[in-house]
Amino acid sequence: MKQTFRDVLAVLEQAGELRHIKKAVDPRHLSALAAQAKEATFFETIEGYPGWRVAGALVSTRKRLALAMGCQEADVARRFEEGIRRPIDARLVTTGACQEIVQQGDDVDLTSIPIPLMHLKDGGPYISATMVVSKDPEYGRNVGSYRLMYRTPRETGIDLVSPSDMRRYYQRALDAGRPLEIAVAVGVHPYEMLAASYKAPIDVDEYAIAGGLHGTPVELVRCKTVDLEVPADAELVLEGELLPIGWTADEGPFGEFSHITGDVKWNPIFRVTCVTHRRDPIFYMLQMPWENDWLAAPVIEAAGLQALRIASVEPVAIRAPIGGCCYWTLVASIKKRPGEGKNALLALLSVAEVKLAIVTDDDIDIYNPDELDWAMTFRVQADHDVLIIPGARGKHIDPSVRAWSLGKGGLPTTAKLGIDATIPEGVPKEQYERIRYFAKDAVRLEDYL
Amino acid sequence: MSPLAERLVADLRARPRHFAELVEAHDAVAWRDFLRAWGEVRGLPALGRDDDGRYVYSEGASAACSSG
Repeated sequence: MKQTFRDVLAVLEQAGELRHIKKAVDPRHLSALAAQAKEATFFETIEGYPGWRVAGALVSTRKRLALAMGCQEADVARRFEEGIRRPIDARLVTTGACQEIVQQGDDVDLTSIPIPLMHLKDGGPYISATMVVSKDPEYGRNVGSYRLMYRTPRETGIDLVSPSDMRRYYQRALDAGRPLEIAVAVGVHPYEMLAASYKAPIDVDEYAIAGGLHGTPVELVRCKTVDLEVPADAELVLEGELLPIGWTADEGPFGEFSHITGDVKWNPIFRVTCVTHRRDPIFYMLQMPWENDWLAAPVIEAAGLQALRIASVEPVAIRAPIGGCCYWTLVASIKKRPGEGKNALLALLSVAEVKLAIVTDDDIDIYNPDELDWAMTFRVQADHDVLIIPGARGKHIDPSVRAWSLGKGGLPTTAKLGIDATIPEGVPKEQYERIRYFAKDAVRLEDYL
Repeated sequence: MSPLAERLVADLRARPRHFAELVEAHDAVAWRDFLRAWGEVRGLPALGRDDDGRYVYSEGASAACSSG
């Protein structure tokens, strides 16, 4: 049976990774409280919102992401690869818990949802854990993830600046002078969130990717007011349309996945025509930046593994560290043949926006920062083992690319850095023989305590 | 316009403010009431933004920097 958002809460609970907060909490304080907890947080009483509960920071560590994915921490990329390799088509069902309560027409009121204010400079309260569905007459269904900023009881902003399939759908609708229908599911399993953040080819249904990750079809229900389908087990669904006004409405700032406060952007407006939710809904507050980053990790790590294999390099382990927002940095260990340290770097630096890549031999535990430092200290000569590739595509939210100096519409470039921390060609492996303690296996400390 | 929305407009007329500053200035108001009032303010054509993301209330705001 397909796992739900609530099943993830149960898994975290069982692992001692979910903190229950029983006292009533104001929505203005949810994010700050979640940020202080070591565990994921489950707020059982929300001031002014009887019947609602809020869960946050569910996958804001690699450990919790792995728990949600049912695998070891080092295996999240391979687990993700397994899922995308065998997509399973979604199945339409007639009823779903996500439609137990329906607000339509004049009853639509976004203020009935405990939308939190998250960061000091945010342009408003945000719905951050979205799975947004849209359709194009030619290309079909698309599922992505886009933040929503509360504007009025029936309108939100939506960040549609970055290139995406839905941005293309919206542009096509705009060119035809019509709105684009969308539906937003909140409180779905992280597999659905991963599928939404995966840049699948335009003709691939992200619901099928989610099905592949689950190993069983995602069950969908038809929306009430738009020609779209949403996961039947979602906690909350917003239906409506992106108005055909183009990128003209202010949206943001928001605390970005780069851990940096963003800028005001110009974006479309989402007008909500229907709100549906469970009878006892749980609002999912995706805690920035951590959950956004960790949900990117399996996707970017899987892309790194694929790039290495295409380059005929055998990967052993790969890691997108949180310091690089699980997006800009990749560290990999490989079974190296001569020259493959450099080939591996070129492959990893070709992945999306990765601007720092480090490659080690397979004797280095890349999850241990001390071992990584050791390899970079003793296996690297900077004049031989460091690659710098100037003028590659950059991303606006990286301040070091100085995007503000480019003017409106300017696209930034970045330099990419690769560090080959494998044993250099020509240096015998024996030079790296680690110290070992005499009689290590002959004596045991506990016998002397 | 509700009395709370009028107070928010008065705050913004006095000087540009981040959304969180408005929230802090009215922290005794129930969140839902605040959001309803903010929804009223958002509909006003004089509402705009400055470069740091502050909300600006100015009857002479140009279309380019007012909210859509």
